[in-house]
Amino acid sequence: MRFWGMFRFTIGETIRRGTLIFYFVVATCILIFFTLGISHAPDDPAAVTVFGMQVQDPSQAGLNIVEFLLLQLHSSSVFWIILFGIFGVAGLIPGMLEKGTIDLFLSKPLTRAELLMARAIGATAGIAVNLIYFFVGIWLIFGLKAGVWHWGFLSSVIYVIYAFACLFSVVTIAGLLTRSAGFSILIAFSFQLISWGLELRERGLYLISDNVIYHRFLDTIYYITPQISAMLENSSRVIGNNPFSFNATEFTFMPFLYSLFSTSLLYGISYWYFSRQDY
Amino acid sequence: MEAIQTVDLTKYYRTGLFKRKNIKALEKVSISVDQGNIFGLLGPNGAGKTTFVKLLLSIALPTSGTATVLGHSLGQRALKEQCGYLPESHRYPGFLTALDTLIFFGRLNGMPESKLKDKAKSLLELVGLKDWAKVKTKKFSKGMLQRLGLAQALVNDPKLLFLDEPTDGVDPIGRKEIRDILTRLKGEGTTIFLNSHLLSEVEMICDQVAILNKGSVVRTGIISELTAQKLIYNIQLSSPVSDDLKVRLGHKHFSLEFKDTSLNATLKDKSELNSIIDTLRECGIGIEGMTQQKTSLEDYFIQLVKGENGR
Repeated sequence: MRFWGMFRFTIGETIRRGTLIFYFVVATCILIFFTLGISHAPDDPAAVTVFGMQVQDPSQAGLNIVEFLLLQLHSSSVFWIILFGIFGVAGLIPGMLEKGTIDLFLSKPLTRAELLMARAIGATAGIAVNLIYFFVGIWLIFGLKAGVWHWGFLSSVIYVIYAFACLFSVVTIAGLLTRSAGFSILIAFSFQLISWGLELRERGLYLISDNVIYHRFLDTIYYITPQISAMLENSSRVIGNNPFSFNATEFTFMPFLYSLFSTSLLYGISYWYFSRQDY
Repeated sequence: MEAIQTVDLTKYYRTGLFKRKNIKALEKVSISVDQGNIFGLLGPNGAGKTTFVKLLLSIALPTSGTATVLGHSLGQRALKEQCGYLPESHRYPGFLTALDTLIFFGRLNGMPESKLKDKAKSLLELVGLKDWAKVKTKKFSKGMLQRLGLAQALVNDPKLLFLDEPTDGVDPIGRKEIRDILTRLKGEGTTIFLNSHLLSEVEMICDQVAILNKGSVVRTGIISELTAQKLIYNIQLSSPVSDDLKVRLGHKHFSLEFKDTSLNATLKDKSELNSIIDTLRECGIGIEGMTQQKTSLEDYFIQLVKGENGR
């Protein structure tokens, strides 16, 4: 009851954030755009046109045209979704820690662990509401207009939400340490960049030095931190194989499993720190 | 039975880059608050009043010492379930209405959903915000937020209520209403722990007080005892004192001040009072009344704190 009270409150707070309202408006515009722009051709997905124009034929990559469109949509939207998401919820932890708010929350019969988890899960759920709105909307449009009910695209939202939940562990610890929404955003984006760099370390960071210790150090960092970039990359692989991807390999659960460990570790450290602080 | 019992409760805040610097907030504070009383904790800014309450509610963690609240050790869920708290500077989510705010805090207190709405409405009526139930709190004035804060603190029918500057920003009528609510709660058996700078208000409603200065308790007691000036009596007489009698009383080395039919006597001990009365009666002067002089709590507080700080 207490946990759910804080959880519900956090979802409400997340959804009402100006950034996410903006996201909601943008997502709605995109949905309207596709509703109006995609030709109605449920019997022949290859004949689908956008605003009367034939989409470039990706047949050489062995892709269905709708699948190709969904892949492009997924790849281009995930970055913005994460961007809006971080902006939307980065202030939740510092906001909770503000004088006058934290006093009230901690005076209630709610443990610090419950409070922290309710905020983290509530924030992720708030973002999930927006993500599901967009992904389900797109899925329905393509299903109804092009006759392609792409379950892979629909299920990819779960992986994106999962990746966001992992990234929020970074936002949480940054928020607890700095008590600043601005710093939390900065740290979360820096982490995303680092995650991307580590994901592609064999083609980038490894080339800086041949030192084995340096390579092992990068590997260790990669495996003990949430693999955001790898998870987002994998979330698109459930749609189909992107011929333009740097890492055109099969879908794997490994980044999700490694990230489960590292996210748990980060939340554990966050709780340890939070439970020892005076407010 | 004590509602609050602390023994040598001490708090040092660690500051600095590596948290090596210790700042004393409370030093060996031992306080006992009886159930059903209104207890006032007084002290200048930075004396440690808010820290003391925060320690009891586990908002801050003690460096050393022990405490029990309603028979529970610090940090226990059962303790918080029976307490209400109005912090000094409280912030409420601006996107919630007054009614939703109380429902939200009721949920955090674990109250059953079925009772929440009715409870919230009755509390809004109690604090005079009935007509503002559907208005978002971001539109509330400071005084209204203070009333809402009091309602929030009462949402779980607490046995022990902690109030930190409850009348801050409230107009005089509102203050009177809050005092009346507190008096009524006391009548219902609620223990109230009050932190306040408004000493006149504390004097009006508190049974007991403790005065904190620089993190240490410098006085505790019943207000009437603390504010009673030691052995200064005003004696109302039936007739003026003759010069002869003045000389007679003067010989006994009392410090006396005569004014028509009254005299003020500053005594070393109570036996001197009997001696004065005997002398007056021997001279045929009736005693119509006698009062021990009192000072206001504010005067007492200022004298005490100035004395403690060597000012």
